[in-house]
Formats: sequence, structure tokens, C-alpha cells
Amino acid sequence: MLKYLLCLGFVPSAWKLPIMIALGTFAGLGILTIHVSRAPSYLSDSPETCMNCHVMTQAYVTWNHSSHRNVATCNDCHVPHDSVVRQYAFKAKDGMRHASMFTLRMEPQVIQLSSGAVPVVEQNCRRCHEQLVGEIHAREWTPGDNRCWDCHREVPHGRVSSLSTAFDINAPKLPGVLDDPHKMQTGGREPRPTKETKP
Amino acid sequence: MTEPTSSGPSALKGWLVFGAVLVAVLVIGLILATVLERRAEASKGQRTLQPIGAWESDSSKWGVNWPHQYASWKATSEKDTATKHGGSYQHDLLAIDTNNVILFAGYAFSKDYKQARGHFYAVQDVQETGRDISTKPGTCWTCKSPDVPRLMAQMGPAKFYDTPAKDLYNEIKTSIGCADCHNPDTMALTITRPALIEAFERQGKDITQSSHQEMRTLVCAQCHVEYYFKKDEAKGQKAYLTFPWDKGTGVEDMDAYYDEKQFTDWTHPISGAKMIKMQHPDYEVYTKGIHAYRNVSCADCHMPYKTEGGQKFTDHHVQSPLLNISNSCAVCHRWSEDDIRSRVESIQDKVHHGRLVAEEALCKAHFDIAACKQAGATDEELADVRKTVRKAQLRWDYVAANNGMGFHAPQECQRILADAADMAQQCRVACARILAKHSVTDPVVYPDWSTKEKAQDLIKHFGKDGTPPSLLQAH
Repeated sequence: MLKYLLCLGFVPSAWKLPIMIALGTFAGLGILTIHVSRAPSYLSDSPETCMNCHVMTQAYVTWNHSSHRNVATCNDCHVPHDSVVRQYAFKAKDGMRHASMFTLRMEPQVIQLSSGAVPVVEQNCRRCHEQLVGEIHAREWTPGDNRCWDCHREVPHGRVSSLSTAFDINAPKLPGVLDDPHKMQTGGREPRPTKETKP
Repeated sequence: MTEPTSSGPSALKGWLVFGAVLVAVLVIGLILATVLERRAEASKGQRTLQPIGAWESDSSKWGVNWPHQYASWKATSEKDTATKHGGSYQHDLLAIDTNNVILFAGYAFSKDYKQARGHFYAVQDVQETGRDISTKPGTCWTCKSPDVPRLMAQMGPAKFYDTPAKDLYNEIKTSIGCADCHNPDTMALTITRPALIEAFERQGKDITQSSHQEMRTLVCAQCHVEYYFKKDEAKGQKAYLTFPWDKGTGVEDMDAYYDEKQFTDWTHPISGAKMIKMQHPDYEVYTKGIHAYRNVSCADCHMPYKTEGGQKFTDHHVQSPLLNISNSCAVCHRWSEDDIRSRVESIQDKVHHGRLVAEEALCKAHFDIAACKQAGATDEELADVRKTVRKAQLRWDYVAANNGMGFHAPQECQRILADAADMAQQCRVACARILAKHSVTDPVVYPDWSTKEKAQDLIKHFGKDGTPPSLLQAH
């Protein structure tokens, strides 16, 4: 059976060559697109992934100058962590939304948390700062309550925020199509500590 | 010989073709991608700038070098810009608020007072206004065009001001644009109008020492300020553009300045008071507000930064921030657009209320003084109330003529409107005493000025040759 499929036994022999050429073209273009769009990076936790399009540059730069850069990546705050299924489902949903908005040039000049993202970020504040939240007896969030960042307004992206807040020059440069995709220039800063060296 | 249906060599050949095509497409694609990448690299940061001549007033020539900024400047031609209390579209302020007709009676503002449109229309608006400038000095053109700095460089500011406005019609072609605020060589912000430099000098300040952030306000303060045409016979100047800031930019400071100079814009035909017209003291009022206190410049809200395709630039579509809330307000105030708009409008509504209260009192004060005159009061008796109504209206106008319905400094505007209403009512109390002295104890009979036409017709009767309606009750 496998041999039958591999040898295209179901195809008239005169069509075999053109079909192989067509298949090769599609496969080549597919791999090319995956590589150039840095698609594999979306499966990772690397914050540099979020900068594949320049819209998130200021979010990256402000985070990279904040204390959170040593302990939390984009995903630690912006996707849910209560189950792996929810984590990837949320990432896929948010990712598709971002990709569509960017492609259609519909991104707003000032990006704010969507209503779906608000409880996720709040949960993640509480997840890491569990001890502190426990000590102040913070109850479950209920409508009408403030969010963490209503007071901690500068955490971690700063007080003044729009697409124009940070110059692109402050952001690391994405590797070129022929460069090692893992090599990311750090924009003059020391490299970010890896997970293993986290304090 | 049978057809090799599933034999080894042929299947392998097929997959070899597949593999070869795949590699070929991948290689060609990668070459294409690097070509595009390298091409973008080459064009990035390398742009040949066309030289811009000194005093180049045609903004489209600057636009060759700065297409984003030029395109956004052109957007000041948009007319559908209504906000709750303003917007740079033409609307008749005399019809919307007929008190304006009474308060500016005897002055050209009672004939035609429209909201000016965007920078794009500055010259056209002056040509079309009912406040005919053909008999006025060249000073009237000062803020309207980048041709002005060129003419001033040729003839000197004093001569420019003294040239009749109609003689400059052919010279002034372009509307407020690049050369009004930018140095053509460095694009740095620059002050092109001498009146602001001179006002700073008289206060002992050197404007050239201003920081870039201050300049993002001061270039606007060249025009969006209170001013008057100073007459200096010793110097032979008839209408030298001057900002009344020698004692400060507060309303009391300007009031004291004008009193000291004994300056008067016009004599009010209803009350006979010697009046001052405040122009648009946007800069002065702004300096009293929280945004100025926090070093937020005019440009931060009215020309916020913007990105298009990863390119950051200053949005030169100068307009009400309420038309561009997310770019201007939400950068710092991280609420929804609706929240921000309703907050701003609620502040403006309160100022608007205070403004109407002061207006009502002021209109009645003018009529009360006219009633005193009709009851036989002498000019000597009326000297004090006329002075009070001048001061009250100057205060009201400091807020009313200012753009933004008080939002530039809400608390200061409310304070000034409270003073204006209080002074106008004090004036009316004094008038009641004067009337009583002349045996009039009945209330004054106020005429009807509820429409623009009625109001304009009414004020005609208070002119030199008119016969005003009786404001005293018949017995």
C-alpha cells in the first residue's frame, strides 16, 4: 500500500512527471514561506517572536528595559497557564487576530489589552506574585474591582505608550533570511539571561 | 515489454524530480528574499534631500523631502471636524450664541464671527470674512502665511505692519505651512514672528534658550495668543503687533497692562464703555493648566506622533485632540475613547455653563448702563460702571475667545468666569443705585436678542444716529 502511494500508482504514467514538478513547487514554496515568515518561532516562548512584525517593537523594548525582563517573557503574562490546551488555543486565537490585523493594516496606534486578554494578564500577575497577593488577602477579582495595573501603571511597559514610543533602533534586529534564525542581535544590550540562569 | 507501473527506477526518478524542483524553488525563493532584503537595506536611511530655498513658502516643495508630514498637513483641509463644543469647520458663532452680537456691538465681530477652519484655509478665511480687512494694516496678515517671514525679511517688520493689507494681497498666496515653524536647512523648529521674540525680550527672557520640548509649544504661541496693534507716534508706528505680556500672561496682568496703556479696541454703543477684544489667548490659558504643569506641549496633543509602516513621524494634521483621541490622549490616559471623550466633554460642559452665566449678566449690564443714561445719568456718574463692565467682559472673553471651551485650563477658566459674572452683577447693582438716584425703581426692560437678526437689528439702533428703544418702563 505504502509502495503504491509512493510510486503514485493511481496516476496515469504520462502525468507523473508534471505532477512531481507541481508537488515539488508547492512543497518548496511552502517551506520557503515557513522559513521567511519565521513560522517555527511561533511555537517557542521567545519574546523576539512577538517582534516579527514591527508593531510590537515598543512592547518589546519597554519590557526589555523593565525588571520583568529577567523573570518573565511575553507568554508568561499574555497567555493562560492553567492548561496546555488552553495555552495553545489562546496563543493560536490571539496570533491569528494579530496576523489578520497586521496584514490588513488595521493596527491601532495605541494598543491596549483586549477584553479577552485582561483576565489572562490578571491571573498571571497573581500566579507569580502569589505570596504577596496571599499576604494582602486579595480576593478573587469581581466586576467593579481594580486590576493590578490600575495602580501599578508602569509595569512593565511604562506609562506613556503608543506605536511611536520606542524607536525601532532600540530593538534587536531580526536575523536575515540566510542568517541563523536563533541568532538575534541584542541592540547593544547584554544578552537576556536564559531560563537556566534566572535568579 | 510492459509499462513499468510500480517498478523501482521510475518511482525513484519521479521523487528525484520532486526533490530537484523543491530545492530549485527554495533556492530561487531564498535568492529573491535576500534580494528584497538587501534592496530594503540599501534604501533604509539613505535618502537624498532636495535643497529647500530660504523663505520657501510653498509647502509642496518641502513635501518632496517630507511626504508623511506634508500629507498630514494637507489633511487640515478636512471640514467634517465637528466636536461637541468646537471643531475647525465653519460655523456661525453669532447665530449659535446671539449674546456675541450684543457683547461685540459696534465692533466688526458683531457683523461676522465664524469659527476659523484648519491651517489650510488661513488665507482664504481672511479673504472671505465679513470683517473686511481692506482698510486694515498689513499686521492682519502676520499669522496667515509663510510668505510673511519672507516679506518681513525684505521690508522689515515695522514696514510690513504699516503697509495696507490690501497692498499685500498679491504677495500672500500660501496658507500657514512648513516655513512658518521650520528652518529649511536643519528642519529645527524656529520662531519666525518677531512679536513673540519681542514679548519674551520685554519680560527679560531669551527665547533662543528654549528647549526642543518648549519649542513644540512656542511655535504655536507665535499666533495662538492675545495681541493688539500698538500705536507709537514717536517711532511713527501705526499698528505694531504686540503681545500684552509685560506684566505676565494672566488675565489680571493683561487687564492691568491695557489700563496702564489706556488702550481701547472700541467703544461699546450700548453702554458707552471702552472695551478690549481678547483674541485667542490659547497659549496663555494653556500655561495655567495641568498639561503645561506636566510639561506636555501643544504638539503632544494637537500633533501626536504617528507610525505608518514602521515610520514614526509627527502628525501635522493640527486639530482638536477629540478627533484623534487614541493617538493623543490615550498614549498617557489608558482608557477607552468613549471614556476619555465623555470626561473631556463633561469638563467643557461645566465651563460652557459658567460662560453662559457670565454672558447673560454682561449683556444685561450693558443694557443697565444704557438705561441709566436714558434716565438722565451723566457720563461722570457712569464712569465707574463702564470701567467695571470693560473688566468683566475682558475676563469673559479671555475664556470665550480661547479655543477648547476651557479645557486648556479648566479651573483657571472657571475662576475667571466667576470673576466676570461677579463683576457684571456688581455693575448691575451699581446701575440699580444710579437709577434709583434718578427716581427709577422699576426693573429695566430688556429688548429681545434671541436671534442673530433681531440682535443685529437691535444694536443698529444704539449707534450714533440711531434711536434706541426705551429701556425704562412707561408710566
